[in-house]
Amino acid sequence: MELAVAIGLIILKVALLIAMLLLLPLPLTWVERKIAGHMQQRMGPMRVGWHGLLQPVADGIKLLTKEDHIPAEADRFLFKLAPILALAPPFVVFVAIPFGESVSVLGNEITLYVSNMNVALLFVFAVIGLEVYGVIFGGWAANSKYAVLGSLRTCAQMISYEIPMGFAVIGVVMLAQSMSLLEIVRAQEDVWNIVYQPIGFFVFFVAGLAEAQRIPFDLSEAEGDLGAGFHTEYSGIRFAFFMVSEYVVMLLVSVLTVILFFGGWNGVLIPLPPLLWFALKVAFFVYLFMWFRFTFPRYRYDQLMAIGWKVLLPLSMANIIITGIAFS
Amino acid sequence: MSRARDTIGTWIGWTFFADLANGLSLTFGYMFSKSVTMQYPDKEKWLPYSRYRGHHFLKRDEEGEIKCVACELCARICPCYCIEVVPYEDEKGNRRPAKFEIDTARCLFCGLCEDACPADAIALGQQYEFSSFSSRDLVIGRDDLLAKPGKAATGGGVVAARLNTQKDVLVETDERQGYNWWRNIRRR
Repeated sequence: MELAVAIGLIILKVALLIAMLLLLPLPLTWVERKIAGHMQQRMGPMRVGWHGLLQPVADGIKLLTKEDHIPAEADRFLFKLAPILALAPPFVVFVAIPFGESVSVLGNEITLYVSNMNVALLFVFAVIGLEVYGVIFGGWAANSKYAVLGSLRTCAQMISYEIPMGFAVIGVVMLAQSMSLLEIVRAQEDVWNIVYQPIGFFVFFVAGLAEAQRIPFDLSEAEGDLGAGFHTEYSGIRFAFFMVSEYVVMLLVSVLTVILFFGGWNGVLIPLPPLLWFALKVAFFVYLFMWFRFTFPRYRYDQLMAIGWKVLLPLSMANIIITGIAFS
Repeated sequence: MSRARDTIGTWIGWTFFADLANGLSLTFGYMFSKSVTMQYPDKEKWLPYSRYRGHHFLKRDEEGEIKCVACELCARICPCYCIEVVPYEDEKGNRRPAKFEIDTARCLFCGLCEDACPADAIALGQQYEFSSFSSRDLVIGRDDLLAKPGKAATGGGVVAARLNTQKDVLVETDERQGYNWWRNIRRR
C-alpha cells in the first residue's frame, strides 16, 4: 500500500512536471517577442487577445495545422526520430532537479523533487549531452547542406563547451562535498556560491549559453548564414518540438545556474516563500538570456572555438586549482 | 604616458566586458522607451499634411455648382493620359463636364492637373486608402470625385481610428487633428 502511494506520487509529480514544461514555452515565446519588440522600440504582438497574450495559442494552432513536410531525399526514419531525441533529454533532466525542500499538503510532507540522486549533477550532464543527437540526426536526415552545416557546427560547439561547463561545476561540488543538487543548495544556506565561485559562474553561464544554442552562440541555426540551420527542412509540429526543446534547455540552464551558484531557493533579506524565490531567480536568468539575444551579435565560428578552448577551458581549470588551494 | 594609461584602461575594460555591458545597458534603456509603432488599422491612423497628393477631388463653388469648365487642360497636361473629360452646355449656358473620369490605376499623382486647372476645380486631396481588387474599380467618375475628401485641414498627425469591416474594409476616424507623431517618438 505504501509502495503504491509512493509510486502514485511519483507519477503525479512527473505528470505535473511534463505539463509545466510543455506549457511554459507558450508564455515564454510571448515574453520573448514582447522583450524583442520593446528593445527595438516596437510593440511586439498586439492583435490576438489583450496585448497579444493569445498569440502563442494562435501560433500553436498554426503549427499544428501546417503540412508536415518531409523532403523527398530525406532519411525518413531519422528525420522523424530527431525531434523526439531533441525533446526528450531536457525533460528527463528535470527529474533530477529539485525545486524546493518540501511542502505540506493536507498534513503530508511532499518533497518538491522527483528523486534525490546522490549523483544528480553527473546525471544532468550525462543526459543533457544526449540532446545533441537530435540536432545532429535532424541536420543529417534532412539531406540539405544548410542543415548538415548547422548540425556539424553544433557538434563541434557542444564538444568544446561541455568540457569547460563540466569543469566549472567541480568547484561547486568541492564546496558542497556532494554531487546531489539538494545538498549543494543546502550548503549555500548562508553564503551563495557566487561569492566563492565568480569565475566558475562566468564559465558555467557562458557555456550554458552555448549549450542552449542561444545568441551569441546560436551557430547551429544562424539564420543569417544557414537559413535556419539544423531545422531548415522541418515544418509543423516537428519544428515545434525543436522550439519547445530550445526553451526547455534555456529554462534548464537558468535553473542549474540558480541551483549551483545563486543559492537555489534560499532567499536573502526579504522573506518570501522558497518556491517564489526560486521562480524569481530563474525568471531573472531567463530574462538575461532574452536580453543577451537582442543585444549581442553572433560570434564567428572560429571565434567560438577560440573562446571555448583558449579562454573558458583554462579559466575553469584555474578555478578548480584556486578552489582546491583555498579550501583545502 | 597618457597613451599607455589609455591602453591599460582599454584592457581593463575588456577584462570586465565593458563593451558588452555598454550594449546591454543601451538595450535595457530602449526597453523602457516609448514605442514608435503606429497601430495603423486597429487603433491609429496617419493624417497627411495639406501638401500631400492623395486622391483627386472636384470642387464646387459657392452656389454649389461644379467649378470645372471642362476646358480639358488637365487631360492635356496629364503625363499618363488618365483623365477623360466630355463637355456639355448646362441650362444656364455654361460649359460643364458631362463626364469626368480619372483612371487612378494609371495616375502617377504628380499634381500637374491641379497646377494646370484655370478654374481651381481639381486638386489632390488627403485620401490615401483606395486600393481595390479590380483595376476597373479605380476609374473614378465625376460624382464620386465631387464626394471625395479635400485637402487636409491641419494634417501631419496621428489620430485615433478603428477598423470597420462591416460592409467594406474602412479605417474610420472622428478626429480632425492628430498629435505630432514625429515629436512624440523622439527620445530625450
